[in-house]
Amino acid sequence: MRLCGEGLGWRSGSHWIVQDVTLEIAPGEVFGLIGPNGSGKSTLLRLLAGLSRPTRGEALLDGTPLGRLGAREVARRLAFVQQQAETADRITVRDAVELGRTPWLSALQPWSAEDDRHVARAIAATDMQRFEARDWATLSGGERQRVHIARALAQQPRVLLLDEPTNHLDIRHQLSILQLVAGLGLTTVIALHDLNQAMGCDRLGVMQGGRLVAVGAPAEILTPPLLERVFGVRARALVDPDDGTRHLRFDPIA
Amino acid sequence: MQFPSLRAGLAGLALLAATPAPAQQTVYPLTLDNCGHKITFPARPDNVVTVGQAATEVLYALGVEDRMAGTSLWFNSVMPAFAEADAKVERIADNTPSFESVVGKRPGFVPTMYEWMIGPQGAVGTREQFADLGIPAYVMPPDCIGKDNLSGGDGTRTADFDIATLYQSIAEMAAIMDRQDQGAEVIAALKAREAKAVETAKALSLPDASAVVWFSSADMDLDPYVAGQRGIPAWMMRQLGLRNVVQSDEEWPTVGWEAIAKADPSVVVIAKMDRRRFPADDYEKKLAFLKSDPVTSQMTAVRNGRILIIDAEAMHPALQIVDGLEALTDGMKALSQ
Amino acid sequence: MSLAADTSPMRGLGRIGCLGWRLAGAALILGAAVLGGICIGETRIPPGTVLAVLANRLFDAGFPVAPIDDGIVWAYRLTRALVAAGCGAGLAVCGVILQALLRNPLADPYLLGISAGASTGAVLVAVAGIGAGAVSMSLGAFAGAVAAFAIVAALARAAGGGVGTRGAGLIILSGIAGSQLFNALTSFLIARSANAEQARGILFWLMGNLSGVRWPDVALALPAAVLIVVVALWHTRALDAFTFGADSAAALGVPVRRVQALLILATALATAALVSITGSIGFVGLVVPHAARLLAGPRHGTMMPLAALIGAVFLIAADVLSRIVVPGQVLPIGVVTALVGAPAFALILVRGRAAG
Repeated sequence: MRLCGEGLGWRSGSHWIVQDVTLEIAPGEVFGLIGPNGSGKSTLLRLLAGLSRPTRGEALLDGTPLGRLGAREVARRLAFVQQQAETADRITVRDAVELGRTPWLSALQPWSAEDDRHVARAIAATDMQRFEARDWATLSGGERQRVHIARALAQQPRVLLLDEPTNHLDIRHQLSILQLVAGLGLTTVIALHDLNQAMGCDRLGVMQGGRLVAVGAPAEILTPPLLERVFGVRARALVDPDDGTRHLRFDPIA
Repeated sequence: MQFPSLRAGLAGLALLAATPAPAQQTVYPLTLDNCGHKITFPARPDNVVTVGQAATEVLYALGVEDRMAGTSLWFNSVMPAFAEADAKVERIADNTPSFESVVGKRPGFVPTMYEWMIGPQGAVGTREQFADLGIPAYVMPPDCIGKDNLSGGDGTRTADFDIATLYQSIAEMAAIMDRQDQGAEVIAALKAREAKAVETAKALSLPDASAVVWFSSADMDLDPYVAGQRGIPAWMMRQLGLRNVVQSDEEWPTVGWEAIAKADPSVVVIAKMDRRRFPADDYEKKLAFLKSDPVTSQMTAVRNGRILIIDAEAMHPALQIVDGLEALTDGMKALSQ
Repeated sequence: MSLAADTSPMRGLGRIGCLGWRLAGAALILGAAVLGGICIGETRIPPGTVLAVLANRLFDAGFPVAPIDDGIVWAYRLTRALVAAGCGAGLAVCGVILQALLRNPLADPYLLGISAGASTGAVLVAVAGIGAGAVSMSLGAFAGAVAAFAIVAALARAAGGGVGTRGAGLIILSGIAGSQLFNALTSFLIARSANAEQARGILFWLMGNLSGVRWPDVALALPAAVLIVVVALWHTRALDAFTFGADSAAALGVPVRRVQALLILATALATAALVSITGSIGFVGLVVPHAARLLAGPRHGTMMPLAALIGAVFLIAADVLSRIVVPGQVLPIGVVTALVGAPAFALILVRGRAAG
């Protein structure tokens, strides 16, 4: 499933939050979206997910504009995980994951064994079997994020979009979420803050002031000049002697 | 010259005979007790401002419109006999007047027919507010003797209404305005008519008959405002030996049609008025309702056409009370024939 | 308290059977409540007479019955019970919808300014004499309710209200602003022109009153209630999708703007219709959804029908209470729902926490 944006732009009032973004996500790749705060990452993700209508340009799924597909169709192919979604309802983990089947259900297609299977698979994929009957309110931040991902998986998506899913989590949960996402094998677009975590993506897109200023492999993108230009920080790349992975070391702000 | 001195003497005698007894003069300062409040009039009051049609018409009957500065709170058009007098007096408000508009006239006397106009929760003001400005406020006895105005929608009577309180109002107001003779005449005339009506009523000797008095309703189908056990309509019914099917002590309680229908009164009395605030104000609409509602149309009184229409003004503590009693008596007389 | 087991599919016939049992049970409970409402009233009518009247009217049985009793049971009490049931179900369901859409457990059907507008409309007719006695309070109330909702909707739109958390918050604030405006208008009108009699009539209406209900009112109340219940049941899955917010619902394929507009409009119209018949009966739309949630869990598929049933039975019971608690007098039904509803709400909150 190919997801791409052509000339995407979104304006709020007179201010362009996203301007003229064209990018194509290759099927199966993990595409990281990085950029300083206010660079338009979240908005771009929402445009790609079809949650906001672009002021200019269009987002396409397999060549068809999202607007033409209809919300249900889009939801069957594409799942969106918000940064933080809360509820005061007294639901269980299983209830939350079952919501993911919404785009597949209707008056004529009520709940069936098939739906049960997808839910079970999603719960297993996120390793939440022990939590199935737990109340939402009793979960930690990391566990809740896993449940959101499980819900997204229950949608049977081919494309997964995640908006800074690890921001508010502790380090262990951050790593486990990223590992989980990487291991799913879906076309993934993930917005990240931590540049070292972004290293693990197949490709990166850098946003600045609403524009996509660079796209490419992490090694090519995360160079000291770019980091200085876009993020305003000075950094050096260090190589781990054990396995050759690159790691960024940041200098203090002058 | 024939017998000038005799003629003069005879003329003088005739004059003496024709002259009424020396007019009863009020001695000022006048202090009287008005439902437990002492009010004092230092001199004959001028610039009187009334709050309530009943008080206004009593004063017109006493012929003191020249000393009135304003009237307020009207329910109906003024009694035809007083139309000329009324034309001379300014109408401050059709409804409740503001405190300032009343005291702005620098009144020497402010009589009202309702304690909820001037009283502990007075819509116009409290007695104290008036007293602070040296203005004596007076509540007509029918509304404050034997009546608790702090409970119930229009107050609750602690004692049955007695027409003597109306006569007391007229006498007191006459004393205050130094028109005691006039007052006595008005009272005498009313008493005579009352006695006659009561006599006619007793002569009817109706069998155990019951009645309900329907004033109006907030909405056509809603529970009606009916006369309670102790108010003016109840007094009229007692004179006629009619039993009020409504048990409440409130002045105008709301009672469900279900309860009224089950009580099945022999006669239904409905009020006629000029006001059109509620659809049920119109007596024709009341009639139509009684005849068309699935339950009230089954009441004995409605099926047999025993419905009497009485002027609403007669149900207020005012000069028209006796008119109302007469109308009710005449109506019952017609029905019993 | 979860119904994880309940939401797992009941295969084929078994599921329909279970649904059938539930419907039958609900119908039985509702029928019993209506019957109770007819038998108990201000005056004593023996149950035998009540049944005789029903038999005569429904099956032409020909029992001898006093015409007044027949009128009271059929034209007064039955209509009251039916309108109470319809109102209770309708208001409860409207409460469920608004609490789900606006993500606020304190949302109730009157949030959109409807009750305040209805009061103003009724007062304009009853106190200011608009319509000169030709327009009934109900008509004035409906017009007022619709006008108030229109103003609230316009305000919400202008403020940027709509989907999303912030949008929901703006809708609520617009509703509050509109309600305050119309409540102030009502107070002004009452203070300016009402005498004790009028103020009493209005007060009765403002606190809810079923005493003026007749068959024509049933013809308005029941369809309005049935309609909103059907619309609500149709959208239970969509409402579930709002659990994590409007964005989440959109991501799950729910056409959020359309659903929100449709449901809010339907809620507003249904509430306006119901309020114009009965006055503002409070607490039903607020408390019954929570009670249903406590008993059946948060999934709208199960708690919505239960809310409708509880609402209907609750209001019938409240109406009966309002007629017998004080002998010879009928209390405004809003007083009863508040007196019962407030402690019930407290209980729900405490039980809900304990169960957590």
